[in-house]
Amino acid sequence: MTNAVAGLGLAPDAAMVTFPIEAFLPGSDISTVRARRGEFYDGLTRWRSALAGDGAGDLPMIVVEAPSAEAALARANHLMLASRWGDGLPLWPPTRERVDWILEGSAQPRERRLGTFPPRGGVTTVESCAIALAMAGGRPEYLGVLVAAVEAFLDPASGSESLQAASGSAFPVVIVNGPIGAEIRLNAGFGCLGPDPQRPAGASIGRALRLLQQNQGGALPGLGTMASYGGLRYTNVVVAEDEAALPAGWAPHGTERHGAAPGTDSISLAFASGATNIRRRGAGKETPAQDALEGMHRMADFMRVPNMPGLVGYEHGTPGILLLPGVVAKTMAGLGWTKATMRDFFWEHSRISVEQLRRAGAPAWIEIDASAVTRESLSRDPWPITARPENFIIVIAGGGHPTNSYWLQGYSPAVVGRPVERPPALDRLLAAAERDLGPRQSR
Amino acid sequence: MIRLEFHDPSGRIEVKQPHAPRLPSLAGRRVGLVSNDQWQAHRMLPLLKSLLEADFPGIQVLPVDAFPQGNAVIGSEDTAARVKASGVDAVIVGNAA
Repeated sequence: MTNAVAGLGLAPDAAMVTFPIEAFLPGSDISTVRARRGEFYDGLTRWRSALAGDGAGDLPMIVVEAPSAEAALARANHLMLASRWGDGLPLWPPTRERVDWILEGSAQPRERRLGTFPPRGGVTTVESCAIALAMAGGRPEYLGVLVAAVEAFLDPASGSESLQAASGSAFPVVIVNGPIGAEIRLNAGFGCLGPDPQRPAGASIGRALRLLQQNQGGALPGLGTMASYGGLRYTNVVVAEDEAALPAGWAPHGTERHGAAPGTDSISLAFASGATNIRRRGAGKETPAQDALEGMHRMADFMRVPNMPGLVGYEHGTPGILLLPGVVAKTMAGLGWTKATMRDFFWEHSRISVEQLRRAGAPAWIEIDASAVTRESLSRDPWPITARPENFIIVIAGGGHPTNSYWLQGYSPAVVGRPVERPPALDRLLAAAERDLGPRQSR
Repeated sequence: MIRLEFHDPSGRIEVKQPHAPRLPSLAGRRVGLVSNDQWQAHRMLPLLKSLLEADFPGIQVLPVDAFPQGNAVIGSEDTAARVKASGVDAVIVGNAA
């Protein structure tokens, strides 16, 4: 709550009366409200903010000293954890030298203000992004993608203000289109959501975004974010679309969803609350058409759940993001499928009967939704899980193997796109990466 | 001795407005309840209303349905305008969990 108060431009404290979670559960004993009523009365009469000043001015640099470089690094890491700035994994201290190096990848001045990170309201600049990227082990050529992702995150339409604090464990998913993805070593193939020493950009960019969410936005577990589980929050999800594997006539995601010209660099940000691997391929002697159709049904079956957090994106957001390997896209295209016809299929075959919705208590959530489109959707039986087929996101990514696809369950009021600006020094930075990390390898 | 100097990553906060002044007393005042209608607010806020009315002479506590309820609406400018127009001296907002 103090985060939310700070985000409104008030001093970051508030007159609150707090109770253990048990008081807020159905059938709870609320006699404690009577016993502690004096605290409510004091909140309206005697309470005063303990925090004065306007918060303006630069923050002082942090200093640690130790007898050796290793001891200094350890001391810095301990300090960052004690200050609640870390994520538990080793961090690079964001020294002036390292942050200035990261800023070589900026197309914008370091002081350019991007907004305030919700809910706490930390003032976020290009330099803030560079500090987070430095801590996360990033490189300067990643900065443009991170800045674009932060701009999308800070767009009020993204829903980040409430999702940062909510219990549903939402995490941002950043889809990168354009040549910048491969150039800076974002993974689009095998293991694209996991660790990859040759394509480490996604992990660093996503980790930097998470550090910003925590340090600028105040999303500390149990304090600033009530995320019950917090899965996929070490690095969020930052993935490139495998545009080289797009079948002829299939448009990149950034073009389909945001109108970005093919071949231009862009990001698309949505929130998800879960991830599921789907065994897409058949196990028998299926014909290609049968294998494709059965796989489509299996994917639709994973989507056909009363996902109440997803209601926030029912009208304008997305029910989820399907990652499909290029080899499967090629087969599907050969059978006449397109991204559009696949979306139509998913929309039709992921519908849920209203009887099933009622059994799960889902109508109570649908009836209180802010969107009239969502509320009125209950009149449709079977109930479509999203307002329109176009809301499904299909991204070509994943290892060149036909067995699996991946479904990131949506929790996203909108899908926000931003262009990625190329810094003037990009060619030099990419050449430096070749020296530092070895030659880029094709998959 | 090795010295490491590095940036504070937490970002400064801008304080743009003060918190509302508190009341000297609740007696004779008009108090509003703004509910998100979640987390047992439908029970706790009416209980608070009865407690306030019992403890402070002349206080008027508006019923919980005097203003729009629910997370989707209580943060809106429209709700804020309605609260202001109601002439309340103070507001209790609940519940968050």
